[in-house]
Amino acid sequence: MTPPDLWRLSLENLWRTKLRSVLTTLGVVIGIGALVSMVSFGVGMQENVTSEFRENDLFTSMQVLPAKIDVGEIMAGGFEPPQTVKALNDSAVEAIRAIPAVELAFPEIRFPVTVRMMGKEARTSLQAVPAAMGRYKPFSEIPYGSFYASELVPISVDSLIGREVEIVSSTLDLQSAARAFMRSFTAPSRLPLREEVVRLRVVGVRGRLSGFGAARFRGGVIVPIETGAAMPRLGFSDVWDLLDSSEGTQGYGSVYVRTRGMDDITPVREAVEEMGFGVLAVIDELEEIKQTFLIMDALLGAVGTIALIVAALGIINTMVTSILERTREIGVMKAVGGSETDIRWIFFLEAATIGFIGGAFGLALGWAVTRIANVVANHYLRPQGVPEVDLFYMPVWLIAGALVFSVGVSLLAGFYPASRAARVDPVQALRHD
Amino acid sequence: MTPFVLTRDLCKTYQKGTVPIPVLQGVSLEVAKGEYVSVVGRSGSGKSTLLNLLGGLDTATSGRIVVGDSDVTSMSRQDLAVHRRSTVGMIFQSFNLIPSRTALENITLALAFGGYPRSDRRRRASELLSSVGLEHRLSHTPGELSGGEAQRVAIARALANAPDVLLADEPTGNLDSKTAEEIVGLLVALNSERGLTVVMVSHDEATAREVSHRVFRLLDGRVIDELSGRADG
Repeated sequence: MTPPDLWRLSLENLWRTKLRSVLTTLGVVIGIGALVSMVSFGVGMQENVTSEFRENDLFTSMQVLPAKIDVGEIMAGGFEPPQTVKALNDSAVEAIRAIPAVELAFPEIRFPVTVRMMGKEARTSLQAVPAAMGRYKPFSEIPYGSFYASELVPISVDSLIGREVEIVSSTLDLQSAARAFMRSFTAPSRLPLREEVVRLRVVGVRGRLSGFGAARFRGGVIVPIETGAAMPRLGFSDVWDLLDSSEGTQGYGSVYVRTRGMDDITPVREAVEEMGFGVLAVIDELEEIKQTFLIMDALLGAVGTIALIVAALGIINTMVTSILERTREIGVMKAVGGSETDIRWIFFLEAATIGFIGGAFGLALGWAVTRIANVVANHYLRPQGVPEVDLFYMPVWLIAGALVFSVGVSLLAGFYPASRAARVDPVQALRHD
Repeated sequence: MTPFVLTRDLCKTYQKGTVPIPVLQGVSLEVAKGEYVSVVGRSGSGKSTLLNLLGGLDTATSGRIVVGDSDVTSMSRQDLAVHRRSTVGMIFQSFNLIPSRTALENITLALAFGGYPRSDRRRRASELLSSVGLEHRLSHTPGELSGGEAQRVAIARALANAPDVLLADEPTGNLDSKTAEEIVGLLVALNSERGLTVVMVSHDEATAREVSHRVFRLLDGRVIDELSGRADG
């Protein structure tokens, strides 16, 4: 028999037992649907996080620290302060800027502030960023107003833009600190902090930060670097400041370095480390992040696979039943010249057809589930201030892979029934009753 | 006489649990091309087993079968399938048509196994059905056919791939005497008009002697007698 004949025969057989074929296929539909939506969720998470990293230029940037440190060691709790710490001061920043392929390097200045405006106030953090960063994400896309074009804050007119805000930072009030120290034995005291007020003008309002937490520039207020550096504040507000203060030298807690491209990260980091500084680059963690997502995908996939295994058992069950019913028919096919190979293929193709159709509809189901889940999830996330996000992602490899997997599993499920059908003894099958 | 179908010391033993049950115990017979022979005997004498072995549905325990130029006993399972589809055609007491397929489709299935091009199958199948007098029953399923009509469809199917030998296992066992006569008449006509070699298994010795050239009588898996039949041929 030719392959098209065998396939036609399988389709006829499936069509003859419509209800059973549909129910069996439905099992595969649900299995593949579960698998696809689960993996699509995992892939979606990964996609969202990596695109977030890309948005924030994390693959072309690094953080320079006063000392070489091992993040893993800190995480493990076995961190010992480094013995020698080099001052990360202006001349160090200049030296870093001089490294080829370094596009930008500036000290990271970040501290908590209170913002007062139109009679309201809010606590947030302030970050000083040079005007040059306006060329790059996320500052290149300011939805309202504009990023400051120079280190001087311009004045513009708009409802919110152009208004004056009061930025209130805190400094240590030595007098009240001394008083507090004296009183602390008798009564609880207020923190010995003094308010320092700086008035600035709003030039632009950035969009909302997404919920995936990869943003490096989380400050609620972004100010030009000179402005930020000049603002009075507490001596340290960053963990890296603690490292720096260990030698008592004047310097910054950390320096942000942006390279021209992703490939420049390695040479630049080597040059910086040569200078005796430590470097943290997100790109290092990318492999680790990828691995984490791989495990997550595998776990999600495993749940879907269980559903598919159940469906495969359904296929085996259906086909074994069908062989019992069709024993005589198989005998007839053998008597008129059907070979074992022919018979095996007929049943194999039945299984493959169930797998293919089940896979195709399963993909459709999986897609529908992800769309509905996305709408529902966003509906609940929106009131919590999380911007609209697509939680699922269905790349081509997932679509093709699901189909191949579905057909593959079905063929595997069809293997035993098909061999059994091929082995039917025609003499037994045709014995008249 | 040069034999077209030949068996030599053919033995078949079934295993029932650990107990061997000998069904054929050294059957040797020869059938010439164009001959109509019958095998008669009581039930359990091994006559159907003999036919299944000739048809390649079953394999012998020992002995030899030659059909045409081919040694059936040394064939692989794939070769046996080829033997079944092209060298022999089989009909059975219970017709063994596929109930879900129409008369025409039962035959096109056999043609498909025989490697007939798809475009030719329906035409060939309806010709075959016409040749057995069923041109008006093409799209009926076996359930809608009488016993005689069903057996005619089975005969047409057996002839689909132009076999050299027709093997008939009690072809009239499920039919009333009038229909039985018609079916046997059809087999005789196929034998005498087309020169088709026919081996028929029957328990009706009288009819067998009437229509066959020779009749082998089987008892307990052995040929105990060879009787002469009709005079022509």
